[in-house]
Amino acid sequence: MNRALPEMSHCLNGPGKCTDMTVLERQRARVRWQQSYLGGSDFGGVFLETSQADQVGNFQDLVVGGSSCSVLDDVGTHSVKPDPGLENGWLELGRLELPNMGFGSGGSMNGSPTGLEMNSSISKTSSCPPTEAQSAPEAKDKVSVPAEKMSSAAGRDSSKKRKADKMQNTKVFAEDDAKYKRSKACAEEGESKITTEQARIKNNTSTPTTNNRETSADSSKENSKASEVQKPDYIHVRARRGQATDSHSLAERVRREKISERMKYLQDLVPGCNKITGKAGMLDEIINYVQSLQRQVEFLSMKLAAVNPRLDFNIDDLFAKETVPACSADFPTIGMSSEMTNPAYLQFNPVQQVAACCGFEMGLNSPDMALRRTLSTPVSLPEPYLDASCFTQLQPPPTWDADLQNLLNLEFHQERSISFPYQPFTGSIEASNLKMEI
Amino acid sequence: MISKGATWNSNSCRIKFARRFVSALLHMRNRNTRPGSLTIEGVRTHTQRIKIAAYLSMAQAVGSRRAWSRAVLSKHGSRARRHSRMGRSSVGLKKTRVIRSYPPGELGQAKKLRQLVPGGKTMDMCSLLEETAHYIKCLATQVKVMQTLADNFSK
Repeated sequence: MNRALPEMSHCLNGPGKCTDMTVLERQRARVRWQQSYLGGSDFGGVFLETSQADQVGNFQDLVVGGSSCSVLDDVGTHSVKPDPGLENGWLELGRLELPNMGFGSGGSMNGSPTGLEMNSSISKTSSCPPTEAQSAPEAKDKVSVPAEKMSSAAGRDSSKKRKADKMQNTKVFAEDDAKYKRSKACAEEGESKITTEQARIKNNTSTPTTNNRETSADSSKENSKASEVQKPDYIHVRARRGQATDSHSLAERVRREKISERMKYLQDLVPGCNKITGKAGMLDEIINYVQSLQRQVEFLSMKLAAVNPRLDFNIDDLFAKETVPACSADFPTIGMSSEMTNPAYLQFNPVQQVAACCGFEMGLNSPDMALRRTLSTPVSLPEPYLDASCFTQLQPPPTWDADLQNLLNLEFHQERSISFPYQPFTGSIEASNLKMEI
Repeated sequence: MISKGATWNSNSCRIKFARRFVSALLHMRNRNTRPGSLTIEGVRTHTQRIKIAAYLSMAQAVGSRRAWSRAVLSKHGSRARRHSRMGRSSVGLKKTRVIRSYPPGELGQAKKLRQLVPGGKTMDMCSLLEETAHYIKCLATQVKVMQTLADNFSK
């Protein structure tokens, strides 16, 4: 029931197959081997131990990152993080020290060689403390496959290939480019993995092709899907449990995860997207939001254009003011066309003589004042695009600053400011329509 | 990378944009003293110019850090070439490349998003989403500033 990893065989120059290697020896060999690869290459092999008990083979993931030492710092910080996560999901598994080989900083490698299943964590560190390796041996009987946890801890996807019964699987080591967010994402994924034997067996049976599965105790094959990379440009990925492990699907998975991560960020940015799940709906929302923002810009620039050329700003008070009460009514939303709005504004500019608005003289210093005000009053963006329902209501946007409201003394102003955001695009048309009727 | 320092970022972004935009507006106003601005065409032209000034100011405030700002800058001004430090004059060339086949299997929404976000035609989905996020943030800031300006001007 001994197997030797091909990598081990390479580096050990020894037995191609470790027939009678004890756990301890294997550990040592691993350590030696890893040390020989320090700072340079990635080790993509996984070696599993035959569990002598009748448990399902657990295996250790050893991830040896060949990345530079600068990664160690990242890993060091990251390694702390997964520990609680690891604890959660892997209650039955002890913490293994062995896998610390992966974590150079001796971080989250969990290995408590207690004869129980071992979790191995993955890290990008390149050093493996030999001492831990040696202490690990007794735990070698069973290796668990907390690949995901580990990898997530380290910020990488982990793949678990599990062999049925007492077999081990090979794993692909993933090395991330030390992105913090990736570790977060991975941590979430990792926690969802099952670690029960049954699950493992099931997964083992379901793992696709590249898995080497052996039910016999004799030989073991390891697929080392080493993504060897001497340089840090490559993104190392670990295939997840029960999933394909060829390089294409791995790359696909990385890409998908990146995309979903960004979609999540966008979900936070775009207001009102919390309820929407699914990429298509989210994309629709995003598109709508961007369109609404652009329309708002256009509308505001139109407003500024109407305001700007007039040197005496008393008058410009606005057609906006006049349109406010008009806008406040309910209008069926119509597509906006600037041609329609322009004549409307033009008609009413001369007509609307100011009125109540307190236009103040805007001299040349007005831009400065405006600027100062702009800077000092953080205006929260109303959410115009939100829905048609907004159009029908004139609720003061909850986000308006008190300062801003002070500025807008008149009700008129308030109404205008409130309604405009809601109807940046349709308001002008409706207003113009109304005006024409009047 | 994406989510760091959002608040600080938007504040400085806002300030930079506001400054540039206001100076552009002033410049335009000083330049545009002819009475023809009351005509429809005049107003429309003026609107367009203000809109372009707004986008340009925002892109300049962002600088060349972002693909979309680079695209806006290269599209809209020779000034951009002067300011652009990345020497991305090839952005214009890239735009002519047909990339429909480039991103595989995305829905028509991605296509639409590419049209909306400047410079989005040549990006893959991943970076498109990233650029969209930053673009949305900057657009929101832009709208806020313009809104406040318009409010103040119209008082």
